[in-house]
Amino acid sequence: MTKPNRTQHSNAVATAWQFTEQVPHGRELGMQVVSVDQGQVCMRLTPQSWMFAQEDTKEICTSVLYSLADSAGGLAVFAGALELMPIATLDLRMDYLRPASGDQALLAVATCRHLTDEVAFIHCDILSEGNRELLATANATFMRNTQGQQFHAGGRGKESA
Amino acid sequence: MSTTGDSAQPISGAAESGKECADWQALMERIPYARHLGLEVQRGDAGVLVHLPCREALIGNFMLPALHGGVLGALIELTARVAAQSQDAETRCPRILDSHINYLRSAKARSTFARADIVRQGRRTSLVQVTCWQGDENKPIATGQVQLLLPTMAAQQEDRHGH
Repeated sequence: MTKPNRTQHSNAVATAWQFTEQVPHGRELGMQVVSVDQGQVCMRLTPQSWMFAQEDTKEICTSVLYSLADSAGGLAVFAGALELMPIATLDLRMDYLRPASGDQALLAVATCRHLTDEVAFIHCDILSEGNRELLATANATFMRNTQGQQFHAGGRGKESA
Repeated sequence: MSTTGDSAQPISGAAESGKECADWQALMERIPYARHLGLEVQRGDAGVLVHLPCREALIGNFMLPALHGGVLGALIELTARVAAQSQDAETRCPRILDSHINYLRSAKARSTFARADIVRQGRRTSLVQVTCWQGDENKPIATGQVQLLLPTMAAQQEDRHGH
């Protein structure tokens, strides 16, 4: 994997990147931010056997793809907006095109399609890292400027709202 | 079990709900990711519930703190899958085709519950509506609709041959 390009970014994107990598659930699933380029985010997840959907197959549970799409989508809001503000997922729709094999890492590519003062529209593709096969697609709407939150990556618990 | 005083109906209802709960539990335990999340099947007043105990690794926003949206996604998808499978006469393992989740209130770092309503159980597909809440069942924090495909015999055989 190439060296992350975090240092090339505006403070807002760098902070959002750092914030994303600190999210406890993302850490547990082993999500990594690969790149943030021109409003597009790429994240990666290496499957583990406890993520499987059944005992007897090596298929990754769809809900793991869902979590990855939600995280990549959230970061894509900041990649599109280039400013820090609290956000919240309003809704997320996933289509699971193919079973995700546990032999291959997952890649999520999330793009901010449209941005208003209040809402961000995000599209995310989940691909198999090896053959780049499209496994799932997601469309999500995020609310921007949600109240009662402050955004400080790196200051865990320091200034919670 | 006592048979005095009560009419037959509530007793058989309770027995059925106990069996339903045991069926759900058995199906849920077969899902490695459900075990990892710690999903527990419980008997509620109006049917079977799934309980997601809170722990730090499920947090998505540590400022608030709030559960990760994907954790609610997992609770909803896996509840729908078990509901659809338990309704199927042959308990075929369904494939999740799509899910659409609406987030209604912030999900606090505490116990979360889910219940399933089957919108339609067909021969090949099942559509399940799942509602999640924390303190008050009348104030849902998220609802989701999950579409599942029940494999036909031919598809199961194809799977076995690795296609």
